[in-house]
Formats: sequence, structure tokens, C-alpha cells
Amino acid sequence: MSKILGSGLGDFENLVKDGAVELLNYIEVGDFSGAIKKIQELSEARHNSFYNEVGFLTRSLHDAIRDFQVDSMDLVVGEGGSESVTKITDASDRLNYVIETTSAAANKTMDMVDSSVPVASELQSQARELRKDWSRLIQRDLTPQEFRDLYKRIDVFLSYADDSATTLHSNLNTILLEQGYQDLTGQVIARVNDLIRDVEEKLVHLVAVAGRVDSISGIEHKEKESEHDDTRGHGPAINKQNNPEVLNSQDEVDDLLSSLGF
Amino acid sequence: MKILIVDDFSTMRRIIKNLLRDLGFTNTVEADDGTTALPILQAGTIDFLVTDWNMPGMTGIELLRAVRADEKLKSIPVLMVTAEAKRDQIIAAAQAGVNGYVVKPFTAVALKEKIEKIFERIDAAK
Repeated sequence: MSKILGSGLGDFENLVKDGAVELLNYIEVGDFSGAIKKIQELSEARHNSFYNEVGFLTRSLHDAIRDFQVDSMDLVVGEGGSESVTKITDASDRLNYVIETTSAAANKTMDMVDSSVPVASELQSQARELRKDWSRLIQRDLTPQEFRDLYKRIDVFLSYADDSATTLHSNLNTILLEQGYQDLTGQVIARVNDLIRDVEEKLVHLVAVAGRVDSISGIEHKEKESEHDDTRGHGPAINKQNNPEVLNSQDEVDDLLSSLGF
Repeated sequence: MKILIVDDFSTMRRIIKNLLRDLGFTNTVEADDGTTALPILQAGTIDFLVTDWNMPGMTGIELLRAVRADEKLKSIPVLMVTAEAKRDQIIAAAQAGVNGYVVKPFTAVALKEKIEKIFERIDAAK
């Protein structure tokens, strides 16, 4: 670990060990001015190794932040042709892009559903009307005038059915194509994910170094347990199978509510 | 029957609105969190409230508590439609006086069932 963190602290530990032996020797032979000089040396070495470590950490942090901004992140998003091409340059923008893209896809899909539902309803109601008269025809229950009427209506209906099927087909195709958002947003999220992993790795190093600094300097931190407030909400539960506090289905919610007298 | 739909995501409001329309409830209004919902409720024309939990500003549970604490609003039926599924949260919603609780992602059938159940209870209490 000390290699990754910079060799400062490891060297300092060896220095303290060696220094302690020398210090004892000075004291044993009664050379107190030598002993005090050694103590000063050790104290200086302690400062130096901390400075080195802080310098190293600052550089690591700086690199992490710089990587955060540059790191192969120049995805080009084209909207409405080549005129308005935007470069998303940071993770937050990327995630906003995901929100916007998923929202646009959801709305487009719902638009298609909204425009399909009346077509299907109209098709259904026309077919039902025709069926009534059709069964009367089968039962030879139609007057000649009604028959001529039905004859024409069938023709109109067939052409309407053809047009409706074309509309529905095209709407379904649009819905299908809209699902492409999953690919686009998936790529963006994967990149942001890599970024987070990278930054986390660097932060883990930081914590490891901070831990070593604490252990040498004898500083102790009280761990604060932060509990999330239920009132603010948690968002959708991920890995809910592994969390006994989270209910897995509407049925479980219903069971809990009925046990409470609902 | 005028229904107020409160959710911070417009797509979810639209889904709920469409499902309600299929169930025959065509008169709906929308708000994007508790803070904007309360004045609409206080205007006094809302008969039924459908709310999400997790929203910026005022959350759904806070809205529910505010409704129950308001003398004029406290009898409005409240259906919670939310991704929040922690045992403690559902108990908290029940204690705050929720009338139904639907967890996201939900089905049209589940929503219909809960709404019908709420109206059955209201009719039975009359």
C-alpha cells in the first residue's frame, strides 16, 4: 500500500525505528545533546514525510479531478440534424441528458399510444356495428335496401380497416424505434459509472493515507452514523431481495396494510 | 369527481392521468410536489388525491399529514403511488391516514383495484 501512497510514511516508520535505537544508545552513553539532536531530527522527518504525503495526495486528487473532466468523455450528441451539436462535458450534464432522453422517449411513446387508442376504439365500434347487421344478413333478416346499405358500409369499413392498420403499424414502429434510448442512455450511464469507480478508487487511497496519518499521529475520529430520514424518501429500492426492510411486491404491501387493519 | 395527481415526473403524471381516464375519471389536475399541490387542494374543488412520496420541496407524506391536519381537507381520500417500499414508510403512511398504497412499478389493474376499494369503503361508511 505504501508504494501506492508514496513511500514517505513507510520511510518515516523505518526512520523512527532506527532513530529509537540510536536515541537509546545516546542516552546509555550519557550523550544527551546527541539524544536531543536525534529527537529534533525525528520531529523534522515526521514533518517532512507528512508534507511529502500531502503533496502526493494533492497531486493524486488533482489528477483525479482532471481525469474526471477530460477522461474520454467527449460524446457528441446530435439533436435535430447537424446544426445543433452539443458536447456534453461533465458527468452531471451526462446524467441530465439521460433524464431528458428517457423523458422524451416516454412522452413520444405515450403520444403514439394516445394517437393509437382512438383508432383501435373506432375500428372496434365500426366492426361491432357491422357484425350486428352481418349476423342479420346470415339469418336472412335484411331488407334489400338494408343489404345495399351494408354492401357499401362493408366497402367503407374495409378501406378504414386498411388505413387504420397502416396507422397502427406506423405508430408501433415509432414506439419500437423510440426504445433506442436504452442504448444511448446505457452508454452514457456506463461512462459515468466508470468515472465514479475511478474517483472512488482514488478516494479509497485518500482514506487509506488518512488512516495511516491518524495511526501515526494518534488522532481518533468518532464515527457518526448518519441515518437517512424516511420522510425525504429513498427512491426505488435496488437489491430489495437482500433487504428485509423493503417489501418486494404490491402483495406484500397489501398484506402489511391488512395486518394494520386496512 | 375531480382528481389531483401529484408527482415530480411529468411522464408519471401522464401515465396516471391516462390510466384514470381509462377508468372513467376524466377530470384531473396536476401538481409537481406538495408545495404546489396544497394551494390547489385549499381552493376546495378536489375530491381525490393521488400522490407520489419522493418529491423535491414538500414530499408526499408531508402533504398527506398536511391534508389530514387541515379541517377542510382532512376527509379527502388519498392514494399514494410511490417507489418507496420500506416497511416503516408504509406503516408511517398508514398512521398518517393514507387510504391506499400502490408501489411503483405498478399495473393498471393494481391502480384500479385500489381506487375501487377506496370508493367502496367511502360508500360503506355513508
